Amino acid sequence: MSETSSANHLNHLRAIEALYSGHHGWLYATLKRKLGNAMDAADLAQDTFTRILASHITVIDQPRAYLSCVAKGILINWYQRKALERAYLDALANVPTHEAPSPEAHFVVLETLHEIDAMLDTLAPQVKRAFLLSQINGLKYDDIAEQLGVSLITVKRYMKQAFIQCLMLVE
Amino acid sequence: MLGLRKEPPLAPQVLEEAAEWLMRLSERELSEHERAEWERWKVSSPEHDRAWSRAQLLQSKLGGLPPSLAMSALDRPNSPERRAALGKLAILLAVMPVGWGSWKLAQSQQWSADYRTDVGQRRELTLADGSRITLNTETAIDVVFDDRQRLIHLREGEILVQTAVDTATLPRPFLISTRQGRMQALGTRFTVRELSPRTHLAVLDGAVSVILADNRQTPPLIVNAGQRTDFSSQTFGSLTPTDRDIGSWTQGMLMADKMRLADFVAELTRYRRGFLRCDPSIADLRISGAFPISDTDRTLNMLVHTYPVLASSHLRGYWVTLSPA
Repeated sequence: MSETSSANHLNHLRAIEALYSGHHGWLYATLKRKLGNAMDAADLAQDTFTRILASHITVIDQPRAYLSCVAKGILINWYQRKALERAYLDALANVPTHEAPSPEAHFVVLETLHEIDAMLDTLAPQVKRAFLLSQINGLKYDDIAEQLGVSLITVKRYMKQAFIQCLMLVE
Repeated sequence: MLGLRKEPPLAPQVLEEAAEWLMRLSERELSEHERAEWERWKVSSPEHDRAWSRAQLLQSKLGGLPPSLAMSALDRPNSPERRAALGKLAILLAVMPVGWGSWKLAQSQQWSADYRTDVGQRRELTLADGSRITLNTETAIDVVFDDRQRLIHLREGEILVQTAVDTATLPRPFLISTRQGRMQALGTRFTVRELSPRTHLAVLDGAVSVILADNRQTPPLIVNAGQRTDFSSQTFGSLTPTDRDIGSWTQGMLMADKMRLADFVAELTRYRRGFLRCDPSIADLRISGAFPISDTDRTLNMLVHTYPVLASSHLRGYWVTLSPA
């Protein structure tokens, strides 16, 4: 079996090599046209290939359709990340210096924020807010209920939904 | 990332219990008695242990953030497009009860299907309201649009739905019915597959609310983006994260990432006339690739060239058997 799996790995690398040499230029040009920015396009094209490298794909028919599929998922994620970074930088400007993370810590904080953002993304806004008020701001459920104008039972329902979502997705 | 998880999903029951412990812990100090109960819960099964290590990972991620910065970044206002979609969601929820009667009607009458695809065919429709439906192989749907609802009855097969904002003066709910239940789109993109006796639902954007056909006492289940479930006419299955590749059939692709050959063959059979069998000795061989579904002969060729598999074909390709090379 290990012989097969190493053969698969080799096929995987060959497939990606062919994909990269044949279509990286096309993907980059497409993304550049879409985003109007060469640097972002290069990053996204790179992310697309990184994700494909992390898969086990060995056989690819219609390589451009496949690349579009993968790149689309990454693009959606990327727009969201841009919005998060903008909000983070805006907030940073208003935070006293001693409360701001050290420059080295920014990367880790942003990375974690992005992960949490992605986990909470599909929740209804009220559910997400209740969860953040509790887990980030440390508010009690009673206070959250008052602030959101809903019952305590509702807050608990929100919290449970959000925790289940996070437990499903955290890694 | 969704879909890249290697360990199997946790059972809904375990997730719920872990969530309840997290809630108790975040609300107040546990009593001595509760603490003992909590410790017992954690060690009482390997699944609990696995759930709790995820809970700890979550706690450490949440706990390491500077509160004011994290709050501003995570609780940022939604983009205008998003707000528009959510406004629509509220309207749709308000008119929820409409349409049940017509759904029963659609079920009881044996109408000829409005749109149909044959084996291996795929078809994309734009409906009167601008919503888009993609029909996968061997699929039949009826479309019933009136002044109270937009209803698609999925008789068999699989569809991808991308709803549009209703331009009617009184926005109408967008409903999909199968033999097993009725789904209401809450501003959204999702796939539905009727695979009797169950319906499979996977949500890509927005959310979908589901009511069971023969069990109206059970409250509607809301399935959010990134989640999937299945249901019979009586009960819901568990909620699990969607695969990243869901809906790739709309691009004419069958995407496999370490898929068992037996499962791969079962999937491929949907797009092919005749019999396709795989020898049990290679059923567990793992297949990875992006294969064309419009040309299953080509897919089989690709398979044979990449994996230690032989394909023998009889009856002019009507009967194909895969065996070890």
